[in-house]
Amino acid sequence: MKGRTKSQKPDLTKVDKIVSKYKGERGVLISVLQEVQAEFGWVPSQAIQRIADVLEVSLGQVYGVLTFYAQFYLTPRGRNTIRVCRGTACHVRGTKANLRAVERILGIKEGETTSDFKFSLETVACLGTCFLAPVMMINRNYYGKLTPGKVEPILKQYS
Amino acid sequence: MGKIRTADELDSLRQSIIQKMDPNKSCVRICMTGCRAYGAEEIRDAFNEEISRRGLEDKVEIRETGCHGFCARAPVIVIEPQDIFYQQLTADDVADIVEKTLVKGDIVDRLVYVDPMTGEKIPFAHDVPFYKGQTKNVLRKCGIIDPTNLSHYIARDGSAALSKVLTTMSPEQVIETVERSGLRGRGGAGFPTGRKWRLVRSAAGDTKYVVCNGDEGDPGAFMDRAVLEGDPHSVLEGMLIAAYAIGAKVGYIYVRAEYPIAVEHLKIAISQAEELGFLGENILGSEFSFEIRIKEGAGAFVCGEETALLMSIEGERGMPRPRPPFPAQSGLWGKPTNINNVETYANITSIILNGADWYSKMGTETSKGTKIFSMAGKINNTGLVEVPIGIPVRKVIFDIGGGIPKGRKFKAVQMGGPSGGCVPERHLDLPIDYGSLEAIGSIMGSGGMIVLDENTCAVDIARYFLSFVQSESCGKCTPCRLGTKVMLDTLTRITQGEGSEDDIELLESLGEQVRDTSLCGLGRTCPNPVLTTIKYFRDEYEAHIKEKRCPAASCEALVYAPCEHTCPVNVDAVGYIALIAEGRFEEALHLIRQRNPLAGICGRVCHHPCEVRCKRGEVDEPIAIASLKRFAADYGMEHRVETKVDVSQPKLEKVAIIGSGPAGLTSAFHLAKQGYKVTIFEALPVAGGMLVAGIPEYRLPRDIIQSDINFITSLGVEVKTKTPIGRDLSIDDLFEQGYKAVFIAVGAHKGQRLGVPGDNLKGVYDGVSFLRDVNLGKNVRLGGKIAVIGGGNVAVDAARSALRLGAKEVYIIYRRSRQEMPANVEEIAEAEHEGAKITYLATPTKLSGENGKVNSMECVRMELGEYDDSGRRRPVPIKGSEFSMDIDAVIAAIGQVPDLSFLLPDSDLEITKGQTFVVDPLTLATSRQGVFAGGDVVTGPATVIEAMAAGERAAISIHNYLTGKSMTEGHLRQPEKRLEIPRALETPEEKERVRMPTLTLKRRLGSFQEVNLGYSAQKAMEEAKRCLRCDLER
Repeated sequence: MKGRTKSQKPDLTKVDKIVSKYKGERGVLISVLQEVQAEFGWVPSQAIQRIADVLEVSLGQVYGVLTFYAQFYLTPRGRNTIRVCRGTACHVRGTKANLRAVERILGIKEGETTSDFKFSLETVACLGTCFLAPVMMINRNYYGKLTPGKVEPILKQYS
Repeated sequence: MGKIRTADELDSLRQSIIQKMDPNKSCVRICMTGCRAYGAEEIRDAFNEEISRRGLEDKVEIRETGCHGFCARAPVIVIEPQDIFYQQLTADDVADIVEKTLVKGDIVDRLVYVDPMTGEKIPFAHDVPFYKGQTKNVLRKCGIIDPTNLSHYIARDGSAALSKVLTTMSPEQVIETVERSGLRGRGGAGFPTGRKWRLVRSAAGDTKYVVCNGDEGDPGAFMDRAVLEGDPHSVLEGMLIAAYAIGAKVGYIYVRAEYPIAVEHLKIAISQAEELGFLGENILGSEFSFEIRIKEGAGAFVCGEETALLMSIEGERGMPRPRPPFPAQSGLWGKPTNINNVETYANITSIILNGADWYSKMGTETSKGTKIFSMAGKINNTGLVEVPIGIPVRKVIFDIGGGIPKGRKFKAVQMGGPSGGCVPERHLDLPIDYGSLEAIGSIMGSGGMIVLDENTCAVDIARYFLSFVQSESCGKCTPCRLGTKVMLDTLTRITQGEGSEDDIELLESLGEQVRDTSLCGLGRTCPNPVLTTIKYFRDEYEAHIKEKRCPAASCEALVYAPCEHTCPVNVDAVGYIALIAEGRFEEALHLIRQRNPLAGICGRVCHHPCEVRCKRGEVDEPIAIASLKRFAADYGMEHRVETKVDVSQPKLEKVAIIGSGPAGLTSAFHLAKQGYKVTIFEALPVAGGMLVAGIPEYRLPRDIIQSDINFITSLGVEVKTKTPIGRDLSIDDLFEQGYKAVFIAVGAHKGQRLGVPGDNLKGVYDGVSFLRDVNLGKNVRLGGKIAVIGGGNVAVDAARSALRLGAKEVYIIYRRSRQEMPANVEEIAEAEHEGAKITYLATPTKLSGENGKVNSMECVRMELGEYDDSGRRRPVPIKGSEFSMDIDAVIAAIGQVPDLSFLLPDSDLEITKGQTFVVDPLTLATSRQGVFAGGDVVTGPATVIEAMAAGERAAISIHNYLTGKSMTEGHLRQPEKRLEIPRALETPEEKERVRMPTLTLKRRLGSFQEVNLGYSAQKAMEEAKRCLRCDLER
């Protein structure tokens, strides 16, 4: 996922290119939004306006879809997504301490993004890797049997 | 491969693929789906490197496959052609595997599966119990083929069903076959699939759609993910056949975005199918054309509901529509649409190839075929299983699933995720099919099975599911939008100790309303977890509300630490353990004695329910909480530590306590603290009740008992031994003598007779009398071969005492199974270690003798039958299974009842049929004013610590009674100020429990010397440092 800082304006030609792929198809709003988010890392407001214009739907309709589905981010996201599992097995094996370590090292809380847009932090109900509890995922990598001491060296591996 | 234009071309292609397959070439099948989280990619890379390094590419195929199912043992691989199963391997093991197995054909022992029940090593996949119990139909190719290689699929009958349908069957015949097979929708609702296809086919209009629901949103369910990732072509083929049958040209697969590998494999599969002409125009030379498009979900659980899913495909907010009209009539863009679950489509090919009759032979009368279940939670063998519908729940959980980890007790299995209800132990023998589960308020659901054990709070599980559903509710209809919010708030309050009396009723009535009036399946089923947990675990709800207690010690807001919370007298265990870790042993003892005056005794004989809840037990083994208590007490005794007790102003009132057992002693302690003058009346010549009369000295030495009693008497409590209450000194007399209140705590010492012919022969002893005689020093001569009947602590104590008295063979005969034996687990193990032989599921039917003395015993074998009201299975004799044994003595330890003969004939105290006192459960008041009763005399034989809790409860009631307060006051624990003890340096991550040193077998024989020798200070500190300090995690 590519991340951009808020000051940069999104390249709307990319949006046009995505929309044109779906020309002639019905019900493409969600697919278009998904591809736009994959491109920018989030859905910038200028992109939302452009999509509404090109697809000829109301702004309300686009926002309706964006706010209904959990997948869409309306604020810029970090390049790397950290997911700390808060499922039962992890809970019992001390995942809270790991979460606190991440929050402390990065200076952000759950749901937030670092100011340099390097990391976004989330918690998840269960990653399904209970055997490795407590677990943290960064992008598609799993870090199991995690302890607070191991967090910093792991985070340093990411740019 | 170019386009396949006819059925014959397909057959030739298949033949040519099969011919190219080398049966002698080894194949290493590596699961690359779930196992990726465990390092499967590194393992695959290591294999590729090693094979290449050795130039073995021609001899070995490294194949990336889908899910093998046995996720608990990940990473797993299977080596063909031998079917060798290796589990929990790492990249470092690869060199060995290549050298030993692939080159030499040997087994690498350390990677072989070991059956935890038998200790047997099982190297071949087909022998592993987890796999043996399954019937792989839908999953028959999953884990075998490379899902991205179409020729693997084709070689194993892939696309043969499509070919058969297009060349030999009409759409009508296809529908008829599916109808006859009895296949029902696998998404959860179970609607007959054939009937749905028929409805769509006969709906008006030319444009029809086929949709596959791959929005598997239930937490804990991953069946569809495995199928999509591991065998995507099977789903495409099912959709093709459905489209042919109903007359559709376009199909959609809706997959949740959280399954990126599934999306990837589907995209590959679709493009492969298009390349070969299985998708597109004139498929296999027929008139039938079909294309499939993928739509990714965007993170909304409700889109698993069919009408919401259709809205989502249309690019709208995923909100359900009222039905009728059903999608079969008016679905996608208003056109007739057939929506089926992934697994439903994946079932079609086997039905077409093998026939409806073959399929309908599997399953039950009303639910045919097989079903995939995902097992998660408190179960040993987490993973995916496929079994015939109708298999009993018990078989899946215990035989295939391997039972509950850490020897904990099964509580319930949640089936169907947030839409499902829990199935408690008494329904474990139900067959898993749509009807049976619905009948008990649950559903089969999509296949998620989450197992809960005794440490899972039923209220919290209901809250957890409702919190999930509440955040996923689309908001369209009022019952769901508001109903879930109110139910969630109510449940949250209850788990935080702020529940009120009406809450349970509110949840029930609101739940029923939401169930009956919501617009879609999400709302209609979300009350199920709440309603079923209330139905089967109402007592847990009531404990949260009335006592602010969480029986599973799980609800954080209520639980300071699970050990402290679970202890019937709420000893601050985490506190004294932390003090021991710091070497502050005296302070540890003082802290214990704030709640428990019998530290030395409990440290040795308490059944420690705290250890079952101990969170350390989730990591490795629970903290030895009882043994650490013993250490503190012994240290105190050795160093003559005196614990100062704050005693209130002396009061004038006298209180009489009948019985000097744990209930009486504890009651005396608390009353003395309040300043009352307490006298304990004890019939036996020594004080201690069952502690001294029933527990042998090798478990609880006399001087320990005395030391604890001295602590209590040091507060001014008087103990009058050899002073029975009865005709010479009655309860009336006590009141006349000026006692203002009486607490009856005489325990349950009268042993029950065996109730079989010959049970009054000489040589037949009652267990409790036998132990009392041994403990009080009487000379008991038994003989060589002894049978002890029973399974509680009395039975085990009697057996171990008999061994010490010189018996050559000691048998314990118990009528139920080992799991149900009430004796302490450690005691049972020690008895076996010392030579006792335990026979389960047997009971005596007759005793015979000569000259009035027993010499032989006839028994019958038992099996566990139906559940009775106590929630246990009743043992039932097996006809014709009688057996005899020669015996010199029989000790009956099958239960005790209180001996109430001390009551005067005109006593008006209300008693039950079982000879126990009727008391108010909260205050322990009897039917006579000023008289209270507690401990075994009320409950029947129970435990030391429960008797002590009753003693404290009686003291509070008596204090209320004597000061004119309401008797119910003061029974609820108030939050208190805790000691602040910092965490010991770095809690060790993985460290086994420090073993208790014991006397050697040789030194045990013929002596009643204490067997457990106690921790040294160093060992105690080492053990205490393992504590996770749950009090600091809040």
